[in-house]
Amino acid sequence: MIDFIQNSVDGIMIGSRYALLAIGFTLIFGVMRRLNLSYGPSIMIGVFVGTFIFIEFKAGWMAVAAATLVGAVIAGIYVERLCFWAIRQGAALASMVSSFAIWMQLEEFVTLSFPDRTYPFPPLTGDVPLKIAGISIQLSYLVMFAMATTLMLALNLALYRTRFGLAVRAVSENPVAARFMGINTSRVIFFAFVVASALGGFAGFLIAANEQQVTPLFGLWATFKGLIAMMLGGMGSVPGAILGGFLLGVIERQATWYLGAEFRDLVAYGLLFVFLAFRPGGLLGQRLAERERLALRRV
Amino acid sequence: MDEHTIQVLSNIGMFSFIALSAYLLLITGEISFGQQAFFAISAYASGIATAMWGWGLGLGILWGALVAAAAAFLLAWPTLRMRGLYFAIGTLAFAEMIRLVFEVWTYQVKIDGELVGPDGSEGFRGVRYAFENDISNLEYMLLIYGLLAVVLVFFFLIERSRLGAIFRMLGEDELLAEMQGVNRVYYKVLATVMSGFIAGIGGALYIHLNTYVEPKVFNVMLGVHSLAYGLIGGLGTSLGPLIGVALDIGLLESTRLFTGFRMVVFGGLVAVLLIVRPRGLLDEDVVYWLKRRAARWLGRSKKPRPARRRPSISAPEVRDAED
Amino acid sequence: MLEVRDIVTAYGKIEALKGVTLSAKENQITCLLGPNGAGKTTLMMTITGILRPRAGSIRFHGDEIAGAPAPQVVKRGIALVPENRLVFADMTVQENLAAGAYLRARDKAGVAEDLERMLTRFPRLRERSTQAAGTLSGGEQQMLAVARALMTRPDLLLMDEPSLGLAPLIVDEIFEIIAELNNDGTSIFLVEQNAHKALEVAHRFYLIEQGKVTFEGTPGDVAEDEVIQRAYLGSGAV
Repeated sequence: MIDFIQNSVDGIMIGSRYALLAIGFTLIFGVMRRLNLSYGPSIMIGVFVGTFIFIEFKAGWMAVAAATLVGAVIAGIYVERLCFWAIRQGAALASMVSSFAIWMQLEEFVTLSFPDRTYPFPPLTGDVPLKIAGISIQLSYLVMFAMATTLMLALNLALYRTRFGLAVRAVSENPVAARFMGINTSRVIFFAFVVASALGGFAGFLIAANEQQVTPLFGLWATFKGLIAMMLGGMGSVPGAILGGFLLGVIERQATWYLGAEFRDLVAYGLLFVFLAFRPGGLLGQRLAERERLALRRV
Repeated sequence: MDEHTIQVLSNIGMFSFIALSAYLLLITGEISFGQQAFFAISAYASGIATAMWGWGLGLGILWGALVAAAAAFLLAWPTLRMRGLYFAIGTLAFAEMIRLVFEVWTYQVKIDGELVGPDGSEGFRGVRYAFENDISNLEYMLLIYGLLAVVLVFFFLIERSRLGAIFRMLGEDELLAEMQGVNRVYYKVLATVMSGFIAGIGGALYIHLNTYVEPKVFNVMLGVHSLAYGLIGGLGTSLGPLIGVALDIGLLESTRLFTGFRMVVFGGLVAVLLIVRPRGLLDEDVVYWLKRRAARWLGRSKKPRPARRRPSISAPEVRDAED
Repeated sequence: MLEVRDIVTAYGKIEALKGVTLSAKENQITCLLGPNGAGKTTLMMTITGILRPRAGSIRFHGDEIAGAPAPQVVKRGIALVPENRLVFADMTVQENLAAGAYLRARDKAGVAEDLERMLTRFPRLRERSTQAAGTLSGGEQQMLAVARALMTRPDLLLMDEPSLGLAPLIVDEIFEIIAELNNDGTSIFLVEQNAHKALEVAHRFYLIEQGKVTFEGTPGDVAEDEVIQRAYLGSGAV
């Protein structure tokens, strides 16, 4: 029993990384209704910019964090302009495939510029194990958990209390109606992308700092974990992204413990598949799924 | 014809199968990122048949494709209710599960004192039927293109038949199709099974040419590529996916210019292409235009032009009128 | 006030509007009749800037707005109550109204004032002001869509088939509101299939068929025109 609880706690902690990744993913999806397969890779660009200035200039973690964020945002803007803004409405598949093509482009760009298998990254807190109520928790993971929940709250606040947040929600719900209100949908999408990239960059920084290293496999990994977490929690839902991330972390941890590491991803995908078959809206997006289904039917 | 050319052409041929299978589903309005699952299942099944059960190549390929089709049949049911993006991710999840199963699954028999069979992440080695039966690379390539030709004829016939019209109807507007009495369940399952079979042919050919296969070959990259081929080459005709494959493999494989940053260039080109031609080079409009030209040239009467189609695989959004 | 001249709008190669000319006068209710697919909604979309016309001119208060993007058109004082309402289902009634006032959000006092006015004029909306818009009935959603458009303080209100899908009693209510709004000074450009109700309120009529205006006149002219009588008003022997 204690194992189960420890695993669950570990899982939630690990899941914080996924939650952080999923927030940005879901924000973009919510506002555009398209999958950005370049999300992970654009974060990876940021992370490698971070490692670059760490190596070249021996910069401290704050500078590295800033560099990571800026790198991720620039890469995100590149993707948004090329794959999404430039492709007209209605050609959603073309956008997704385009984002896939750019994914490969960015990934190769990184492996060309950084040919080694791994590069160092400054730690944020180092490996400091804590013990709370008999359960052991890594400090760095606790930091991520705190960041994930804080960001979620901040984002929720922004979405529900600000004028821009209202615009984002309007565009997410119904882009055509939003335009009738005078809302400039492409500008809203652009800024949502910037915010999502910044969030992703921040997530990337925390994850890399936790690992104290970066590898070119980061892009693929980040995209998939973010995607699964987002789907489990409900596409387009920010609290859903957090919950989905935690759920994924717990599932992975329990699967690894009870079945072995080889089965970890298999169980995760299996869970995703089951969700998609029976509860596509994820944990929180039930009504969203219903609306998607209705929206896909032409009236 | 030198060996290298044969190899490139063979690859183009083999990957055309999986591109066509993704294309078929795309026509019915479904985005599938998971056709590599059937490629994989057939590869393993046919490999097992020829290398472990002693079957002949022809039978082995058929067996592989049938097993893949059966798997597709099983997949079709839980995915029936998944629409649009959910279906896309569902197929992706399924394909990854299949890959991960192959990473842990072992099934080996002793043949001539050696262990032969799928060995988890080590892959499946020793599928040497082609080798042992002296099928030259050239002959094998002809086999590939022979089967591809059969599949293309099949596509050609379908596009002209009621089945093809029904598929395209489902792709354009499912609700409308259902209101016309189309049994959505039946046709979706049929399309999925057919696509599984076609991908399966490719998979069986793949393992026998390479004599071995590893699970990591059947990853998401392959899946998204298969879809991309159709989208690049054009969704107006079954030749579209082939063009996509040929462009990717043929052009860039043999252009030594870009080694090292091939993807940087190719990725950028694809992105730009999709901006100007979101439904590929040979999209429905181009194909229609070509057919009209050909008909006129052959002296047939002009048919009235149907409304310009823009089947969108997303929520309908207002389109800007073009200038 | 609104002058539409020879507007041509196309989807790819298909011309939905083949040269439409009409005008809406200040303080009047102008009504556009026509069957499905004639181009009514396309015209609305073109005027509001969602679609760009291939040719022609649209002048509002004398300024050319053809081809201007939607946010600009809204800024100039044209608001649309879209076909099928298109309320933001997951947002509350209040948030929907706030969205309507998006462009005026800086003017907090004015917006708050208007919000109050809307809730007073539409008491049913006040009752449900914190409910999600998706839970409202069809008629209430229509009211919300109208109120939302009014939040932009438009000079001209475009209404695309406000009676669509609503029960007769509710339709009566909606048209009462339309008449009231007009009495209070709002100019309205109405697109309708329900010619009967439109005859009760509109001052001027146009008929659009297959992308072209085929009739223009007063309610009296409509009553006399045989084609309209038979096709849209159901009278006359078949």
